[in-house]
Amino acid sequence: MGMRQYIIKRLIYSCLILAAVSVLVFVMVRLLPGDPIRAAMQQNVDLTDESIVQEVRARYGLDKPIHIQYGIWLRDFFKGNWGISLSSGEEVTAMFWRRLPVTLLLFVGATFWAWILGIPLGVISALRRNSWLDASFTTVSVIGISIPSFWQAILMIYAFAVIIKILPPSGYVPFFESPWQNFQCILMPTFIMGTHSAGSFARYIRMSILEVLGQDYIRTARAKGLRDRAVLVKHVSKPALIPLVTIVGMSWAGLLSGSFIIEFMFAIPGLGRMGLDAVFARDFPVIQATLIVGAINVLLMNLIVDIAYGFLDPRIRVTK
Amino acid sequence: MSNARVEEKQNEVLEEERRISQVGFKALVRTLLKHKLSRFGLIVIFLLILMAVLAPVIAPYHPNDQDLYQVLKGPSKEHWLGTDNVGRDLLSRILYGAQISMTAATFATLGSIALGIIMGLIAGFKGGIVDNIIMRMVDTFMVFPGLIFILIMAAALGPGIKNVIIAIILFGWTWAARVIRGQVLAVREHPYVEAAKAAGASEWRVMLKHVLPNSIAPMIVATALGMGGAVGMEAGAAFLGIGVQPPTPSWGRALRTGYSYLERVPLFSIAPGVLITLAVLSFTLLGDGLRDALDPRIRGEGKKIK
Repeated sequence: MGMRQYIIKRLIYSCLILAAVSVLVFVMVRLLPGDPIRAAMQQNVDLTDESIVQEVRARYGLDKPIHIQYGIWLRDFFKGNWGISLSSGEEVTAMFWRRLPVTLLLFVGATFWAWILGIPLGVISALRRNSWLDASFTTVSVIGISIPSFWQAILMIYAFAVIIKILPPSGYVPFFESPWQNFQCILMPTFIMGTHSAGSFARYIRMSILEVLGQDYIRTARAKGLRDRAVLVKHVSKPALIPLVTIVGMSWAGLLSGSFIIEFMFAIPGLGRMGLDAVFARDFPVIQATLIVGAINVLLMNLIVDIAYGFLDPRIRVTK
Repeated sequence: MSNARVEEKQNEVLEEERRISQVGFKALVRTLLKHKLSRFGLIVIFLLILMAVLAPVIAPYHPNDQDLYQVLKGPSKEHWLGTDNVGRDLLSRILYGAQISMTAATFATLGSIALGIIMGLIAGFKGGIVDNIIMRMVDTFMVFPGLIFILIMAAALGPGIKNVIIAIILFGWTWAARVIRGQVLAVREHPYVEAAKAAGASEWRVMLKHVLPNSIAPMIVATALGMGGAVGMEAGAAFLGIGVQPPTPSWGRALRTGYSYLERVPLFSIAPGVLITLAVLSFTLLGDGLRDALDPRIRGEGKKIK
């Protein structure tokens, strides 16, 4: 199978999954208790007047059968009309575009920390297997994975904002207002998001290098007198790093989940905070948009990973 | 081959598997205890379970008893860890919190794995369209942001720890389903299965006898790792105010409230925070230890390179 066919196949597959996601999202959101219209109108409308409630429901299309509602919603979603937030009255698309850069910035920062910390940790502990260095690095990466982000956030806020006051405890300043303050604001959140990924990076790299080192052809390479460094560069690095593509993709996908709690802890106005607030406020259109965007993010990453894999490892194209 | 011969052959294989698994169990525990990290994990988990089980016996106070004259006090002789914002004994709340946390995680994990096994068996056996539907469901769940899924499901189902458990199960079953389905497909190809089928043995019976034993190792690892994940997710949900309702003692909730009094009574948030982390960490370490012990791929030498 050629590369082009392979890509097309993955693309179609992603679209199918996205369709399934959209159904699931739609059903899930409708499972939420409470009538969103009543919730939204509570302040200024006389709810005892049933005809007004009916009228508003009709305006939002909530009086139609559920599959029709789904169809309308899907059509509007593709047209870029994601509805109006029930709690703020703002257009969801506008909210999304305003908050997207903030979250993306966090993602990039987190990925930076993940690479900077995770890769050296993993490589060194694999090459010094069973040494004290390996033991301590492994411990550090397990702690990085296990520590709940909200607890890590509390600890860091306490250390760097309360005891030594060098960073703001929370809040966000846009980059174009003040790059320096922006940097200070995102330092802790990105680090916390990054340490989690760094932990899994390190473990994954360690395991994957060890696996390659156990292969017969490595023994052959050493037996023919190749020096260790040459073995590493020529025979270990590529097969050990190809699977890394997967973990990079997976960790990027996992960042969104992390951003919900982190943006909450640090009062950062990104997509995660938007989604979390929406869940608590039963803000249906915003919840839907957040979930779909989250799914698209993951699917896109998976697609990139699959394609990268297809290029790096020709066997994949044949077997799938 | 006659029916009896097939049966005999099968029993031989099963006996062999059983023997391996018995020897394996002792060796497994020995391996786990030999390795520092997994030993640490095992001991902490044992202590946490002890805390949970013995909470009614060793807790000095009832977890919901309030003493409004003793609000937000530091550690003292009467209250070893101090008191919370409504004068409840922190130590007792932490002990009972272990109960909630461990039970919730256990139910959530076993539930996820049970659901996964069922779905995986169905997908593997039925094949065709059923298999396709189930596996696409797995794919669909896998692209969902986990935490928000659990929050929405828990919100949809209403308050209470039970609903968080259900939400975690609904989210967590996919992994086990994949593994079991893979096993079914692999076992299907074995000659003894075909022989047994040819001899007229019920497909389900033969498969169950071979699929499940073959999947025990990955399921054990998944249980340990899943427990860690479930403790973390339950605590996270509670931290955000979803799940356990007051006055039920909960680590996640205590951490959230304690956070407001961080400077006045640090132990109020440190105690639950450290315990949540220890619990997640220990289960992860145990899971890692189990995987290292059970996975032959990385057990091999992999000589040191200098």
